[in-house]
Amino acid sequence: MDRTVLKLTVFFAFLLIASLCVGRLLFLPWRANALDTTIVMYVRLPRVMAASLAGAALGLAGVALQNTFRNYLAGPGILGVTSGSAFGAVLAILLLPPNPAAIQLTAFAFGLVAMFLAYYLARLAGGGILALILAGIVTSALFSACVGIVKYMADPYNKLPAMVYWLLGSFAGTRWGDLAPAMPPLLVGVVTLLLLRWVLNVLSLGDDEAMALGVNVGLFRALAVVAATLATSASTSLAGMIAWVGVVSPHIARLLVGYDNRRLVPASALVGATLLLFCDDLARTLSAAELPLSVMTSFVGAPILFAILIRRRACLAGS
Amino acid sequence: MLEVKDLWFTYGNPARRKHVLRGVSLRVSSRVTCLLGPNGAGKTTLMKCIVGILKPERGRILLRGRDITGMDCRSRAKLISYVPQEFTIPFPYTAFEVVLMGRNPYVNILQGPRAEDEVKAREALEALGVGHLAGKPFTSLSGGEKRLVLIARALAQDAQLLVLDEPTSFLDYRNKLVALETLRGVSRRFSKPVLISLHDPNLALLFCDEVFLMRGGEVVAGGRPDEVITRDSIRQVYGVRVRELRVNGCKLIAPEDALLK
Repeated sequence: MDRTVLKLTVFFAFLLIASLCVGRLLFLPWRANALDTTIVMYVRLPRVMAASLAGAALGLAGVALQNTFRNYLAGPGILGVTSGSAFGAVLAILLLPPNPAAIQLTAFAFGLVAMFLAYYLARLAGGGILALILAGIVTSALFSACVGIVKYMADPYNKLPAMVYWLLGSFAGTRWGDLAPAMPPLLVGVVTLLLLRWVLNVLSLGDDEAMALGVNVGLFRALAVVAATLATSASTSLAGMIAWVGVVSPHIARLLVGYDNRRLVPASALVGATLLLFCDDLARTLSAAELPLSVMTSFVGAPILFAILIRRRACLAGS
Repeated sequence: MLEVKDLWFTYGNPARRKHVLRGVSLRVSSRVTCLLGPNGAGKTTLMKCIVGILKPERGRILLRGRDITGMDCRSRAKLISYVPQEFTIPFPYTAFEVVLMGRNPYVNILQGPRAEDEVKAREALEALGVGHLAGKPFTSLSGGEKRLVLIARALAQDAQLLVLDEPTSFLDYRNKLVALETLRGVSRRFSKPVLISLHDPNLALLFCDEVFLMRGGEVVAGGRPDEVITRDSIRQVYGVRVRELRVNGCKLIAPEDALLK
């Protein structure tokens, strides 16, 4: 294993343990009673696991899509998957009795619907990377408009606050029972993207060169996009809309391990997991009330991306 | 070596569109073979059909007598390596990483390259004299260095035939000569035929063993450069009147005075 990836793994492991200990109740294993242990095992551990897995999945989806679309700013939202998931969730809140599992399932299902719609529209537009990006923008706009309509129709005292709360993202209520249904698509997405790390290098050269180097471009691009969609919609169904993590994590990872996806892909997963876990820790510890997760990820992610841009500019000026 | 038989190609619906290749037939057997012709003659399209990026409407492509027309891209990449005319690598991979990607046809896609692939990539960089660039970002290299790194990648691909679309585009005069001399050297040293496309007839006269002159999707002449590139053929293909010159025993062409005024 690459030394930097190993260091990242160790750092993530420390943060994971620290995240279990910090919170409204400070958990110290040598002083823990039965209640403390119950809180850690049934409240904090599923939450920490969910944040880590969702962060890793978003980091992986981001790096896979940036390479597949040959675009530094591509992220999990590029095909309208997050907007589709958001529509699924607010629709479930509007039409169904309060049930986290139903919200999770519809959010996941509409994320997949958004991806298939984007792919279908791209095929109608002639196929290729540009058609897929434009189809993603159209799909995203369409589902964002649908979210707006559902919010407009919602009862402003009961349903609308629930929708806004969901859209701002949170791991607050996550228990083992919520994590279980999201695990299969999350793991399939994460493992597939980890396995595709070499081929992402070749795909990033563009269709013609990748084909000339012996890559079945249509098959592997579809695999990468479907795996990224599974990972993204499963993460979104768990915690709502999580901004920035998917876009920023690969950029931080590139500073640490370079551009070769054999190292960059696992590093992006680790950075994504670390970043989202850290943001969730801040969200639940900074104030007495939980802060919205998406607000925290934006506060942390946006300055980091800006700092990376400044650093890159300085490097370019230096060279 | 390479034989193209009655190749037809059109972009979009064949029934309604104009054919870009119209029954192209040629046989490549020399060391350095060149496709020469004006813009839109079909050179790039023909190369993409040979490499397998485009599927011809009809016709056959044979390599050492074996029909490769419908061959899958991975098997074909072991036989033919390709350097495109334009290369916009979006991420600053190192030159070594770029060359290592040339080993992709032999690599287990899920495992990535092995140590022996890395050795082959380093050998290819050294063979082109650019081993010192291995750790540098590809995007920071000059146009000439980038071209040499991509030729090294084609060499690392260990194919039987090298296809390069306009290997002199975007290069200054010296680097054009260096690139073509390098290709001639690679062809001789590794006994690999090279198929290139060029715009300048004089470079074809200086560096190529065989030339196919193309116009409007057809091959209008083929053979030794000094036999194919003549006053009449250049006028027919480019619509330019030229004079034939002899410099140190080598045939060159220059435009008639009327065009220069």
